[in-house]
Amino acid sequence: MYTTPRSFLVYALLPAFFFLACFYVYPSIFNIQTSLTDLGIFTLRRGGDWIGVDNYVELLTSPDFRRVLFNTVVWLTLAGVTVRIVLGLALAFLLNSRTLRKWRLTTAARLLLIVPWATPPVVAIIVWRWMLDPRVGSINSALTATGIVDQAIPFLSDANWVWPAILLIITWNTLPLVTLTFLASLQSLSAELVEAAEIDGAGPLQLLRYIYLPHLKPAIIVMVLMSTFWTFNNFVYVWLTTGAGPGLYTNVMATEIYIKGFIDGRLGYSAATGVVMATVMTLFGLVYLRVIAKRELVEESK
Amino acid sequence: MDQKIARRSFVVGSAAAAGILAAPAIRAQTPTTITFRFNDPEAPQMRAALDEFERANPTIKVNMQRISWADMQAQYLREAATGTAPDVVHISFVQPRSFGGGGALRALDDLIKRDGASLGAKGWDDFFARDLAEGADGKIYAVPWTTDTFTMMYNTEMFAQAGIAAFPTSWDGLRAASRTVAQRTGKAGWGFPAGSCATPTIWFFMNYFFWSNGPGWIDKAADGKYVMGVTPAQAQEALEYFKSYLDEGHNPRSNMSVCLWGAPELVEAMLSGNTAIASVPDTVAMEILAKWDQRNPGKKAPFATAPHPGGRNGSVTNFGGRMLGISPNARNVEQAWRLIRFLVTPEPTFTKHYTNYTPAQRSALTSRNWAPELAGYPRQLANSRSWGPYATGPVPIPFMWNAVGRAAGSVFIGEKTPAIAAAELHETIARELARTQR
Repeated sequence: MYTTPRSFLVYALLPAFFFLACFYVYPSIFNIQTSLTDLGIFTLRRGGDWIGVDNYVELLTSPDFRRVLFNTVVWLTLAGVTVRIVLGLALAFLLNSRTLRKWRLTTAARLLLIVPWATPPVVAIIVWRWMLDPRVGSINSALTATGIVDQAIPFLSDANWVWPAILLIITWNTLPLVTLTFLASLQSLSAELVEAAEIDGAGPLQLLRYIYLPHLKPAIIVMVLMSTFWTFNNFVYVWLTTGAGPGLYTNVMATEIYIKGFIDGRLGYSAATGVVMATVMTLFGLVYLRVIAKRELVEESK
Repeated sequence: MDQKIARRSFVVGSAAAAGILAAPAIRAQTPTTITFRFNDPEAPQMRAALDEFERANPTIKVNMQRISWADMQAQYLREAATGTAPDVVHISFVQPRSFGGGGALRALDDLIKRDGASLGAKGWDDFFARDLAEGADGKIYAVPWTTDTFTMMYNTEMFAQAGIAAFPTSWDGLRAASRTVAQRTGKAGWGFPAGSCATPTIWFFMNYFFWSNGPGWIDKAADGKYVMGVTPAQAQEALEYFKSYLDEGHNPRSNMSVCLWGAPELVEAMLSGNTAIASVPDTVAMEILAKWDQRNPGKKAPFATAPHPGGRNGSVTNFGGRMLGISPNARNVEQAWRLIRFLVTPEPTFTKHYTNYTPAQRSALTSRNWAPELAGYPRQLANSRSWGPYATGPVPIPFMWNAVGRAAGSVFIGEKTPAIAAAELHETIARELARTQR
């Protein structure tokens, strides 16, 4: 049946292509097609009328869209990913440290680290919302009891606090994966290499600069890319924590798609937002892989 | 071995033959199962009503599904589009027109024509909000089930402590009373939910504010077209009014994290005496009274109710309520219709099980005995209006509801001034009106 290696490859890849076509290519084309119509949630059975690029023009000229894009790119993604990568690195170094090993705390610390990761996001958000509540929340109770603040802070409805609160919840829930990835990379580093550098007189900062970070670079590149995709596309954390409020202060692209599609009932417009969102991420992925990852791979191969 | 096989074959063969012979009888006894999507919190009470329906109709089983009101619209419309919707659906007064127009509800004209005379307590003509049950094509898509409205509920002891003799009848009077109660008792005055979500409570209060003085967001002109009623200046005035409660501190800023009218935080604030005034539907008022009785047996509840403040048009609120409809994919329409007929009949649904709710039937409304603490409700209901042009007009109510709530939220946190938020909000609704009325 397989006359050549090439035909074997084609047959072997056919199932994968079939699933890709069914579950990725077809929905993508359908979504683009929907974005060019005025399909509404009340006219799902009837279908929408063709309106060309009207949805895209409205979206890209809307002042709301600029704010939504800013929230998504700067607050949710840039701030969120940066905090996660920096804290993830710090925790990985801590978990890999000789001090922790000396105190026989390594296993306990790693087990503790896994708890947030094992907590489903919905559960984590509900628990955090309760802890941050201005009336009965344990955080506000602690802050007022210790005299740090006079009045409880409505963390999730105060413009000064709401983004830090969302980032706190996301970071708590997703940090373990980043930390464990960096920790695994650190553990693959040869102890002899570190010892040799120390014998040569390298201090902690020099070890970090010339030994650890170069070794961690591939893991960091992958984690930044993956974290960016996960965060940029994320709906659950913002929607369940604040419902995109107060007002639309924490509205991001994923919640905008939901609001426009399922509350305002404009599925065509919502689909257009989804296409723009996917385009932004595709461009980011291409640029990131071509510019950063390729450069690193070239350096690695030298 | 052969004998064993022969015996087994005989047993299997006999069982199969018995099965074939008994199949029609079994089929006749197998109940038809229909699904009922119910969205209110009173699930145990509704299950008890459904059990009673099943006892009265042994050939019908009802599978009750649950979903929150916040999610029901998107979920149901998705299901209706793919032919997987529940047989009987629980919807709000504002949904039959848009759902029916989108083909997401079965028209009920044939069933009402046949059984209308025996529907509810006194037949189809006794139901109100029938205009909201009609689609743009004139067909009837749902049966009004329950009705409610918001009324002001207040703590009489806190009012006495603050030296306020009677509940205020103007919006400025309400703010002054709220301020005075807060100053003299150290507690909150009108602690309304000021949070943002897709279905915020502030939507109702802003509409009451507008209606009591004149226009609504959308009104119907003499030529049949729909026009913007509220001006940006009026929207600004309303936003400034509600913001002042938070700025002056008699509505605590923690209420910015509360979005819905029946939130446990608000109920608890009324029960504990931390808030003097609330505006709640009758179901929530009854919940407050029931919990008070539970916690303070034998002690008179220190609550009273009164209509909302008024303006030039007096006190105006909306007839809220729920309807029951049949999905277009229902295969057991007769059974679904029988369930609807049972549920809209006051006895036993509303007298034994679903007792916190009022049937959307004139006869039931007038014959209802209200507790003394709830005397404000019949007075408020007498001054309530239908959503009218909001429901029959082209802009979906959920769109305006969301937009108004978001604008109010941005003002309450100080992100936008009332003037800017009002102008943007007016433009948003006007643009949608122009787009959908094309």
